[in-house]
Amino acid sequence: MKSQIFMEFSEGRYTYINDTNKGPPDAIDIHHIIISRSSVQSYIFYVFILLSATFCFSFSVSHRCLSSLQDQSIAFLLIFSLAVCLVKSWRGKRVEKESVTILPSFGVQLETTYRSGRTVRHFVPISKILKPVLNECVTPVTCYWSLSLIIREEEELLLVFKELHPPITMLVPIWKALCAAIVSGEFTGVHSN
Amino acid sequence: MSKQEKHRILMVSDFFYPNFGGVENHIYYLSQCLINLGHKVVVMTHAYQNRSGVRYMTGGLKVYYVPWKPFLMQNTLPTFYGTLPIIRTILIREKISLVHGHQAFSTLCHEALMHARTMGFKVVFTDHSLYGFGDVGSIHMNKVLQFTLADVTQAICVSHTSKENTVLRSGLPPEKVFVIPNAVDTAMFKPAPERLSNREIVIVVISRLVYRKGADLLVEVIPEVCRLHPNVRFIIGGDGPKRVRLEEMREKHSLQDRVDMLGAVPHAKVQSVLITGHIFLNSSLTEAFCIAILEAASCGLLTVSTRVGGVPEVLPDDMVVLAEPDPNDMVQAITKAIQILPQIDPQEMHTRMQTLYSWHDVARRTEIVYNCALRCSSQNLLERLSRYLPCGAWAGKLFCLVMIVDFLFWRLLQLWQPDRNIEVVPDIYLANHPRDKTSRDSNIYDHLR
Repeated sequence: MKSQIFMEFSEGRYTYINDTNKGPPDAIDIHHIIISRSSVQSYIFYVFILLSATFCFSFSVSHRCLSSLQDQSIAFLLIFSLAVCLVKSWRGKRVEKESVTILPSFGVQLETTYRSGRTVRHFVPISKILKPVLNECVTPVTCYWSLSLIIREEEELLLVFKELHPPITMLVPIWKALCAAIVSGEFTGVHSN
Repeated sequence: MSKQEKHRILMVSDFFYPNFGGVENHIYYLSQCLINLGHKVVVMTHAYQNRSGVRYMTGGLKVYYVPWKPFLMQNTLPTFYGTLPIIRTILIREKISLVHGHQAFSTLCHEALMHARTMGFKVVFTDHSLYGFGDVGSIHMNKVLQFTLADVTQAICVSHTSKENTVLRSGLPPEKVFVIPNAVDTAMFKPAPERLSNREIVIVVISRLVYRKGADLLVEVIPEVCRLHPNVRFIIGGDGPKRVRLEEMREKHSLQDRVDMLGAVPHAKVQSVLITGHIFLNSSLTEAFCIAILEAASCGLLTVSTRVGGVPEVLPDDMVVLAEPDPNDMVQAITKAIQILPQIDPQEMHTRMQTLYSWHDVARRTEIVYNCALRCSSQNLLERLSRYLPCGAWAGKLFCLVMIVDFLFWRLLQLWQPDRNIEVVPDIYLANHPRDKTSRDSNIYDHLR
């Protein structure tokens, strides 16, 4: 008989959802990190694009590069289409959700869902994972925690959450679940050999 | 007696491992001894080639290698406000109570102290070198130092001469400056197990062969000593632009069998070179404090040194022979040293050094400075600005403007990313780490539950 464990909590803009199916054949563990929309960021971005477009247009007009109305309208169309392209590419990059699906003795699936509806998935077999690690990443302006996987025979670490920076309180349960899955995966591997 | 409170200290400098030198050693040994006393120490420095991010060293010492590229002589590019976000993040996530900056020549140190003061933290500054007053570089450096030290809580210098120099350069009131000399790791610098025979006297020189370290004096002194004393040999370790002059001197006076040039000696091998000699020769033209002669004395060598800077304060009179930085005076001093050499007992010298200098003592004295700093009252922005105005007619107003902009930038950052959004890092203790006996054993899981 299937039994489901469901856990959810929020911190700031991030929401953590844990969905575990404990039924046969094996428990499938899914962890979601959802980021809420930030209206402040969107408005700042739109205002910035509008101001830049206006500045470019008025700059070109005031410097008399465009004398006739025809030239001005072409310039206006060009700048407008450039702005639209920028807005579209920015919207396309906005992430809605990142998920980790742990399939015991099989592998781990990493999934990124964008607001445009596009989903990118990456599967890692359990035998390739050496260990999940919690790392502190230092950038020139900030420092944050990240969860990564050490992959056998690879030099680079594989980031579990490529776009989002969730807080450590959300990363720890996922890290524990990954550690448990790796350990049981090794145990099963030994038996099958 | 009330329990001593434990501090959480951030050491900031551009100079740290994997780079090697006096300041780097000082920060490392001081941090280790402070950790032994129960405090928490975090070090912040810039990234070295591909060493970037967080590293843990012995004893749980956490080091942040912040990815700001060095631009000139190991110093980070001074952007005034560029380092404020990362410094604020580190100060909040590690729950730092006090910031300790090292070395006047480090731009990262000056910026960190400025931002820490803006955010209301107490700061301590340690000056490790003597600087001049006359040339253009020194004048600008002293102005920057005046700015940083106008609002520092306490300052530490490594010798009384260095204190005088710092007070004159920065206009700091002398009551705020403590003198804590450097120390030496006597466990690493032990004398030779067997006493060397006095038939042939070996004089050891280990220093960077640059103008400041008196390499030109060596060129004059060595041939004269070799002429006067036929049983004397020299061993010269170290490298630098003046090496060529020493090689020429060797050729000119045919001293190839009496002067050995070893080239650059890694610090781990310094002790093995020192114990092959009887006398250590230091010919520096300027020195705030000379750790090299401490290392030599710890290995049981009699020291001959120039009487400059803080050198006379370092060793007792019976362990050192001082001379003016003049070739004739130095030759006379070496002659005197050779005469008193039979009275020297290396083991006894080493034992005396163990009692005189120890990093644990330095850490205890630094702890007193920290306690003093944390007891000082906090000031608001206006009170702090009034300290910058006396720095100069134009400079004072410029400094005030810089601090006001820094304050506004900090407030803006607080709006963009409030303090509560920066996660605090749980303390990670090592299994055999000496901790406060009253605290229960805890590990990272307990902090994160």
